[in-house]
Amino acid sequence: MKQRIFIFAAALITVLASRESALANDKCLECHRNTEDKPSALFLNDIHYAKGITCAGCHGGNPNAEEIEQAMDKKAGFIGVPKGDDISKACAACHSSPEKMKSLGSSLPTNQWEFLQTSVHAKLSLKGKDHIAQCVTCHNAHGIVSVKNPASPVYPLNVVKTCSRCHSDIALMRSYNPSLPVDQFEKYMTSVHGKRNAKEDAKTAECASCHGSHDIRSAKDVKSKVYASNLPGTCANCHSNADYMKAYKIPTDQYEKYAKSIHGIALLQKHDAGAPACNSCHGNHGAAPPGVESVSKVCGTCHALNADLFSSSPHKKAFDQRKLPECETCHSNHEIIAATDKLLGVAPEAICSQCHNENQNVKGYQVAKKMRGLIDSLEAVEKRDQELVYEAEQKGMEISEAKFRLRDVRQARLQSRTAVHAFSEEKFAEVISIGLKTSASIEVESESAIREYYFRRIGLAIATLIITLVALFLFLFVRRLEKKQNK
Amino acid sequence: MKTLLQRIYLWIDERVELQGLVEYMGKKYVPVHRHSIWYYFGGVSLFLFIIQVVTGILLLLYYKSGEELAFESINFIMSKVQFGWLIRSIHSWTANLFILSAMIHMFSVYFEKAYRKPREITWVTGMFMFFLALGFGFSGYLLPWNELAFFATKVGTDIAGVVPIIGRPLMIFLRGGDEVTGATLSRFFGFHVAVLPGLFTVFLSIHLLLVQRQGMSEPLDIKKETEQKTMPFFPNFILRDLTLWLLVLNLLAILAVFFPWELGKKAEAFASAPAGIKPEWYFLYMFQTLKYIPGKLWFLDGEILGVLLFGIAGFLWTMVPFWDRKSSRGEQNRFVNYIGLFIVIYIIIFTIIGWLA
Repeated sequence: MKQRIFIFAAALITVLASRESALANDKCLECHRNTEDKPSALFLNDIHYAKGITCAGCHGGNPNAEEIEQAMDKKAGFIGVPKGDDISKACAACHSSPEKMKSLGSSLPTNQWEFLQTSVHAKLSLKGKDHIAQCVTCHNAHGIVSVKNPASPVYPLNVVKTCSRCHSDIALMRSYNPSLPVDQFEKYMTSVHGKRNAKEDAKTAECASCHGSHDIRSAKDVKSKVYASNLPGTCANCHSNADYMKAYKIPTDQYEKYAKSIHGIALLQKHDAGAPACNSCHGNHGAAPPGVESVSKVCGTCHALNADLFSSSPHKKAFDQRKLPECETCHSNHEIIAATDKLLGVAPEAICSQCHNENQNVKGYQVAKKMRGLIDSLEAVEKRDQELVYEAEQKGMEISEAKFRLRDVRQARLQSRTAVHAFSEEKFAEVISIGLKTSASIEVESESAIREYYFRRIGLAIATLIITLVALFLFLFVRRLEKKQNK
Repeated sequence: MKTLLQRIYLWIDERVELQGLVEYMGKKYVPVHRHSIWYYFGGVSLFLFIIQVVTGILLLLYYKSGEELAFESINFIMSKVQFGWLIRSIHSWTANLFILSAMIHMFSVYFEKAYRKPREITWVTGMFMFFLALGFGFSGYLLPWNELAFFATKVGTDIAGVVPIIGRPLMIFLRGGDEVTGATLSRFFGFHVAVLPGLFTVFLSIHLLLVQRQGMSEPLDIKKETEQKTMPFFPNFILRDLTLWLLVLNLLAILAVFFPWELGKKAEAFASAPAGIKPEWYFLYMFQTLKYIPGKLWFLDGEILGVLLFGIAGFLWTMVPFWDRKSSRGEQNRFVNYIGLFIVIYIIIFTIIGWLA
């Protein structure tokens, strides 16, 4: 044990001694400090300076030479101020080398350069030679400090401003992506995340929390953390972490519920990129839970007809008076299940029965009961029609028109589910009656086709019998005639 | 006291001298021997042709030619018109049975050498009618304007197009342009209901006239037998024919009811051809042969060679009464039998292979 401590101490002394020696002999810094230029002043607070890396570490040359010509001699590897991609390459010379990083006592990952190449920032700049962003674009050039240091431009409380330097610059963004909004910063500042960030809560989500840091991809890229099907998982990184969210005192089961919901199944299991993710209801940069009054507006952006019908329904006033969120009251929020006909009516599992029963809100109870009866009857006739059409088809009858009209019955049933939101028996019955009328015509047509099938077979049997009898008669007649002729 | 029928008969006889014809028919006899059964296939073919004419006219009442209307009108006939399904199904089934019956008739005449002098013209008119029947089948197949018919016509007219010199102009003439379009449908309709029936009627009239004038041919080996049995053409043969016609009608009714002819999908000019596209069964042996001929054979294109070979074979087959002089002299010609046997076996085998492919 003693031996190990001795070896460690010896190694530490050696590293520190060499660092001190290197910095003591850094003639570049010495001269530049004498000229009182800004980069050399900033460099004194730079993490690289602290690690014993001299100016020549990035700029090349001979840091020990007394004369300026020798120190900045190209033969000694002097490259001056790196430009464009050479900047990031200079950084990557160490930051992509696990050995070098280890020798400097750093535990930082060494794949930042690799990730940066896959990011949207690795696209070519306007000049067409170099990438849009270099390491120094976000981390600064001199005076680079650890990301955990509040002085760093990529520290959680500073990163939003750092990103917005470019992303809020209309002229700059227009030259790369005119359709990309430039109000993310403003929106963010109105969000729950932004407000907490402004109050110096470094735990709240900032740009990099959702978009990543070095591997930022376009939101349309399926590998992006904010691509529709990846977004719920990205939000869940924090919102499903009970320990992380403990201080905020909000539930952490939203992802679990959402994944089971009709929206979650569509997006996560059926890979329907058009299905709503977290941001569809909460917003993305301006993320916040919708208020009671705006729930129906939020849902109504997709379910427009349902929202319109609800607004003109008797429930609108009743819900407003009781301060009930409109859609959420019946359909829940994160765990929205597929709305089946069971939600309607007065059975114990029906939503209506939560507020309406034989003693309370009786009118609604009666309307709900009738509406359920109507939709059930439409479903029953649709099922019967399907069976009849199938039977006629199986019998080889031409029934394509009736089969096509089955869609109209289904359409009427789907429309009736929307019409429910008007909570008007009259309007609901109007939609149902369209389906019932179509169903009646299908029934007549398919039953007629089935009857025709049997008619054909019976007709064939009779015709065949008659023809056979006539043929038999002719045969016997000829035989008799020939017998007579042969006599 | 004369009956009404007798009075009508006398009324007509007074004007057109019907008695002579009746007496002629009464004196006409049909030979009876072990190959007599084959005589009936001519009559069956005639019966099936009559059915085609009748059902074809009925279909014409509702059929509408044209790219946008043809498929829909057949669909309408099958689903809305009273007994339309039956008429269309019988027309389609009869077309196939007609060609089958005509083939049996043709081969029986061939093997019995009934084409020999003095019946050369009867054979040639019969062959012309057979080619016209194939034309009826090919043109009628396109009229419903369904997917299978569209691509079968495309392939069929493509094959016609490879004939040297006249091939391309023939293909353009058949299609009414470079591609199979509504123009092709219009002219196929014209061929099917006007041109082909007109020509067919002329050949059929000559054919029947000659059969009546020359009587039934007897096979060479039967002719040598001393005592020959016969039966009166009227009423015996006619009534036997009628009995068989009724049985064929029964068969047609059963086929039409139990196996209604399908309409399939509407033709889409820009859709890709469905897998396993095949022509009608009576073209299948030729289609299959063309598939087996290599792309290039010596200096000739394989497909051209195939078409030329079938053309020459068809020509020689039609001309058999003129090169088989032995049969005309009343001598046995086994060579002709071997050729016929080879062709029958070839057609059967290649049709089965084509069907299974």
